[in-house]
Amino acid sequence: MSIPLSAETIELLGDPDTLKVLTTVDTNGSPHAVVKKSLHTADDGTIHFLEIFEASVSHRNLTASIWFDRKVSILLFGKEGRQTQIKGRPVKCHISGPVFLDHYARVRERLGDVDLAGVWVVEPEEVIDESFAVRKAQYRAEHPDFIHLDRIAKPLEEVGV
Amino acid sequence: MIALVKTNYRNEALFEETLAGHPDFPRLIALKIDVQRRGVHYSERAQKAVDPEIHQLRSPYIFGSRDGEIKALPESLLLRDGTTILTDPTPPDQDPYIVDHVDGRFVLIDRGEILEAVELWPKPAYYGKTTRSGLPMSHIVTARPQRLNVFQSSFCYFWAEDKGCRFCDIVTHTKQQRQELGVPNRLTPEDVRETVAEAIKEAGRFTSLCLTAGSVIKGARLFDREVDFYVELLQAIGENFRTKKFPSQLIASAFDEDQLARLYEETGLTSYTSDLEVFGEEQFNWICPGKAKWVGYKEWRERLIRAVGIFGRGHVGTGLVGGVELAKPHGFRTENDALESTLSEAEALAERGVTTVYIVWVPRPGSALSGQKAPSLDYYIRLATGLQNLRVKYGLRVDFDDYRRCGNHPDSDLARLQ
Repeated sequence: MSIPLSAETIELLGDPDTLKVLTTVDTNGSPHAVVKKSLHTADDGTIHFLEIFEASVSHRNLTASIWFDRKVSILLFGKEGRQTQIKGRPVKCHISGPVFLDHYARVRERLGDVDLAGVWVVEPEEVIDESFAVRKAQYRAEHPDFIHLDRIAKPLEEVGV
Repeated sequence: MIALVKTNYRNEALFEETLAGHPDFPRLIALKIDVQRRGVHYSERAQKAVDPEIHQLRSPYIFGSRDGEIKALPESLLLRDGTTILTDPTPPDQDPYIVDHVDGRFVLIDRGEILEAVELWPKPAYYGKTTRSGLPMSHIVTARPQRLNVFQSSFCYFWAEDKGCRFCDIVTHTKQQRQELGVPNRLTPEDVRETVAEAIKEAGRFTSLCLTAGSVIKGARLFDREVDFYVELLQAIGENFRTKKFPSQLIASAFDEDQLARLYEETGLTSYTSDLEVFGEEQFNWICPGKAKWVGYKEWRERLIRAVGIFGRGHVGTGLVGGVELAKPHGFRTENDALESTLSEAEALAERGVTTVYIVWVPRPGSALSGQKAPSLDYYIRLATGLQNLRVKYGLRVDFDDYRRCGNHPDSDLARLQ
């Protein structure tokens, strides 16, 4: 089920300083992660990114995902340490038509003599704030027993050992 | 257990029931196969939503349509994974899928249910322009979403002796196109060069060229004249490129080594396909009497294998009209027998570097097998899986004939995961 992205997530996706990592899985379950600078939000709230290489593992895995209805993961790491993971499903691959041609022209302006295999569209289904402070507080609240005892031990002078 | 549903045209399992028996087969490719198998009918709403300024309408093609008519309907469809469906208008009484326009998008409908959103092929920028000789460029070079088609001549000499392939309607359709559209009988190299030059101005639109036509038996040696035509055309096309070689496929008669070497050395051609159409000598002799008479099954097959020595592994293929091996009255009686025989021969060729692809047989009204029905979706799924598994087993690529550079072979669509 597709969900809308928050303004903060859209901003993080749109920030050129954000590190963006796409992780896909092949048909045997083997994962593959790549940096995808082209990840961005489209006007309709979906996430678009470019696949330059027709023969890449990512392109192959994305095809497997759209064929067999599997999710992909997008990790965003902002310049101030904010981390967000988006899980979603590839729902479309533009290989021709106006969206493809527009990106084809723009990517070649930006990167020079490169090709374009497709413009992938992912519908976000889950957004997880992976920032350290947020995760720490959440895990502590949900799993108070997951802690080494020394972290909650009184100072030695207090217990008189 | 698969339930049989009685329709006016076919008694067979429903799409989803068939697909349930193949959980590892992509639903979108199965849908493509079934749409090719059954054809499409464009609803009135869909026809009204077609915009000739942005959608590609039917342009001259080597084969005719199931309704035997040339109408200003959409050329064909794209699925959301980038899969091309080459299909054609089909009379409603033949149980086609319906293409409708609902909530601002084109959709595929079967039995009243929306199955998928589809896109119509985008119109290329060069359509609507004319050559300096005054011909519409869309009559010279036709487009697929990422490929240019050059149908060099519109005649097959096998037909002259009443030995045309039994599934084929090339000459029937050619006459119709000439009479109704004014499509030229034979293309001139200059018209083709000029049209290709115009087409590739549209950056990002095209990735390959495909040349094909009927067989020409004339010349000092068999097919010499056919080779001459292709050399002239390929050289003219090559004037548009900085590199000697350009991504291209020739689907032609079974040429001898000298002819193949000439094509490889004197032109920019990068791959060669010669269609056996159906595997097995007995079937070949019945389905392709012209090919059988002038070359013969064993020699046609050997010529394919020898072509690997010139074009290289992964650059030579043969095409099947998938399902015609089950045509009546001389075809296989069961789909299992047909599949076993076909995959066995495909493996023998794959071992020697020749890859096999299929198209879904459409019993067209202008062909000798008109009125028959193609086999089941289950058969086509198994055929596609079997052919792709052979490519994996023998490390054969099919880059020149894949989902993007061709789009008409369900088996090579599967190569996207190879």
